[in-house]
Amino acid sequence: MEALRVDSLSKDFGGVHALSSVSFSVGTGERLVVIGPNGAGKTTLFNVINGQLSPTSGRVFFFEQDITNMPTHQRAHLGQARSFQIVSLFLNLTVLDNALIALHGTKPSRFQMFWPMNGYRNLMDEARKNLDAGMLWEKRDEIVKNLSHGEQRRLEIALSLAQNPKLLLLDEPSSGLTRDESSEVIGLIKNLGSKITVLIVDHDMNLVFGVADRIIVLHYGQVIADGTPEVIRADPRVREIYMGMEECIDHVGVG
Amino acid sequence: MEVFARNLLNGISFGMVLFLAGSGLSVVMGVMGVTNLAHGALYMLGGYVGWTVAIHYGMNFWLAVFLGGLVSGLIGLSIERIFLRHLYKQPNEQVLLTFGFVYIITNLCIWIWGGRPRMQFASPALSGLLNIFGMPYPITRLVIIAIGLIVAIVLWWLQDRTRIGAIIRAGMDDKEMTMGLGINLERVSMLVFFLAAFVAGVAGVVGAQLMGVHSILGLDILLVALIVVIVGGMGSVQGALSGGISIGLIDTFGKSLFPQFAMFTMYLAMIVILLVKPSGILGRRV
Amino acid sequence: MAARGSLLQGLITRFLPWIGAGVVLGILPALLPSYMQSICTKFLIFAIFATSFDLIYGHAGLLSLGHAAFFGAGGYAVGVLMLHTGITSFWVGLPLGIVVAAVIAALFGFISLRVSGMYFLLVTFALAQLLYSIAWNWLWLNSSGMQGIAGIPLPDLGIPSLTWNTTYFYYLVLIFFCICFYLVYRIMNSPFGYALRGIRESEIRMQALGYNTWLYKFIIFVVTGAFAGLGGVLFAYFNRLISPVYLGVGTSFLPMCMVIIGGSGTRIGPVIGAMVIIFVEYFSSLFTPERWPLILGGAFVVAIMYARGGIVIYLSRFWKQIGYRHGSIEG
Repeated sequence: MEALRVDSLSKDFGGVHALSSVSFSVGTGERLVVIGPNGAGKTTLFNVINGQLSPTSGRVFFFEQDITNMPTHQRAHLGQARSFQIVSLFLNLTVLDNALIALHGTKPSRFQMFWPMNGYRNLMDEARKNLDAGMLWEKRDEIVKNLSHGEQRRLEIALSLAQNPKLLLLDEPSSGLTRDESSEVIGLIKNLGSKITVLIVDHDMNLVFGVADRIIVLHYGQVIADGTPEVIRADPRVREIYMGMEECIDHVGVG
Repeated sequence: MEVFARNLLNGISFGMVLFLAGSGLSVVMGVMGVTNLAHGALYMLGGYVGWTVAIHYGMNFWLAVFLGGLVSGLIGLSIERIFLRHLYKQPNEQVLLTFGFVYIITNLCIWIWGGRPRMQFASPALSGLLNIFGMPYPITRLVIIAIGLIVAIVLWWLQDRTRIGAIIRAGMDDKEMTMGLGINLERVSMLVFFLAAFVAGVAGVVGAQLMGVHSILGLDILLVALIVVIVGGMGSVQGALSGGISIGLIDTFGKSLFPQFAMFTMYLAMIVILLVKPSGILGRRV
Repeated sequence: MAARGSLLQGLITRFLPWIGAGVVLGILPALLPSYMQSICTKFLIFAIFATSFDLIYGHAGLLSLGHAAFFGAGGYAVGVLMLHTGITSFWVGLPLGIVVAAVIAALFGFISLRVSGMYFLLVTFALAQLLYSIAWNWLWLNSSGMQGIAGIPLPDLGIPSLTWNTTYFYYLVLIFFCICFYLVYRIMNSPFGYALRGIRESEIRMQALGYNTWLYKFIIFVVTGAFAGLGGVLFAYFNRLISPVYLGVGTSFLPMCMVIIGGSGTRIGPVIGAMVIIFVEYFSSLFTPERWPLILGGAFVVAIMYARGGIVIYLSRFWKQIGYRHGSIEG
């Protein structure tokens, strides 16, 4: 079953065509990376898939279910999770609080108003596992706005994994990270396992070619290429767009 | 027929005062993202200053209008410079701050001018009636309509046709980018704030021809201005104008047709707009 | 033995403030003259009101500019009950007031939450003014020949031998204050409370995590409305008179001041703020009653500009220092 299928998605803002008839699908367990110059519509695409925006036309199918007009929070319950390009964490709360809130998002007890959060033992254990994976357990009592950028990015990804999603949308996960930090992120993505489908937007070619099973290239809101990394690497149109980045594409190792 | 025409003109003239009172609030909200609740107090302050100039000192009415605007403009500007500027990224705190100023300004006005309300006053040259289609109609109200139109045209021209206007609109959409282009957004913000407060002060004197000046005006006008912003749409001159005229007409016809519900027609209009088109008549998508 | 000593010290440091508060609130007022007891009662009522405001402002981050609408609604429910049915039983007035306030909060919440950001603030303000206008004009809500409803008697608890005095009334209010304080504390520490703070920090993040943020905002609107209504009910019995003023801007401003000056988003901030403002108001009424709004506005502006954490921040620093000196585990 396809995890995600987008069908002729278009999104207009006034006179600007942010997306023009974008269609593709993502198989379960696949790692699909979307690349393209700035302004190509990548974040808009994510916003439509995740529900922050409604498309002007076209449909979105999540495991065969039409979710085109479904509100974001319901998509989370179906199994979507997302990290944001601009870090959107709970800056004035502690790391642990961030994790606890994230974990509760899809649980029915999130509406409970009387018994304290600390009482949920299972939740604390899950939070520990979650933060350990992001190597943030020691910093659990730190206020998030005091963390380094790299740590915040790790937390951002850890939070999106909190709900055991079926589809993970990562919007520029390596943005603002150092070489080493990016490698950590690459490692993390590689270790996610085949039950999670991952859709990534990024500019870092190491990450893109290091992780992708398949690559889609967006340009002015249109899909101009869709294929395996080798195919994309050789595509003349892609090379033209990334003129000057040819060296970059050539020198990146495979896998 | 005459009743209808009279109500129509009354509604439009009242609506013009509302437009003047609400335009500054609307533009500052839309352009600078600041909700200045003290806006009504600035209106009231302008009215008191205008009264002092025109009645207490017996000077020219138009001078009173100008000085009322000037004092309010300066006070408004100082609130922005000394206080609001430091709360740049905290909209809730900004609103609270301006709320505090409502109290301060209102109480200062009571201290200076006393609690007794001031009756309507106008320029003696404007007293009397003009025959409109055989119906005698107060000149003062016609002048109010004229003033409103002039101000609306000037402000609209500033907003849509000048470089400053373009800067303001750009700043409204993307502050960082505009600043990155080397444009002194801070100076422009100061200008906008001053102008908005100035218009409020002018409105206070112009409106005093219809309503006089009293110490509760700070809140009364604020409320009306807010409804004008909600109904007309925030951030543009045309929004404030459409809101002002709409509410002016709705209120006047409402009072005439359903006197027992006089107060509520404005609120009803607001609630209807919120349920049907929350961004207002001419507003952008909220 | 050293461990045992520091454990005891730790316990004392943790519980001393509560013991102190218990003495001050529970025992001291019985020894005060009657007019001071009234001031204390008023302080507790407004502490409830301020705490309800902080729940929606300090925790959820929503600035509800017309909070007095719910406070006054609770009071009016009691007044109208007495005026039109003659019922003065506390056990009818209290739940009625809370329910009326909650229903109005639900209505107002539904309308206001249609919009966000600055529009939201304006709508909450305008709706409260609407209620004020209705109270001013609708004859059914007024005792004959005046604004508001007068002659509200002290509540009938159904205890035949009980004759009211200010001391008993104070303790009644104290009981409800403690209940309210405890409930708010539970809400703050529950998953719901955590979710509210998450919404305050980043609403889109919360939505992406699966939270129906509109529903949370709506629910907290109703809950804080109910708490404010409770305050209003007690106030009506305290003040013996309810009038449109208590629905208006002046009354909405008070909890805002109390929360900002006391410290928002904390447990005791609103309570401290209420104490400060009610007592300063009393002293100001003795010396410069006309300048009170100026004092209040000025203090408010100063607090917003320079003392954002409120008094609570200073208190907690002070308390931490004590802790350090005695080597407490809290340090």
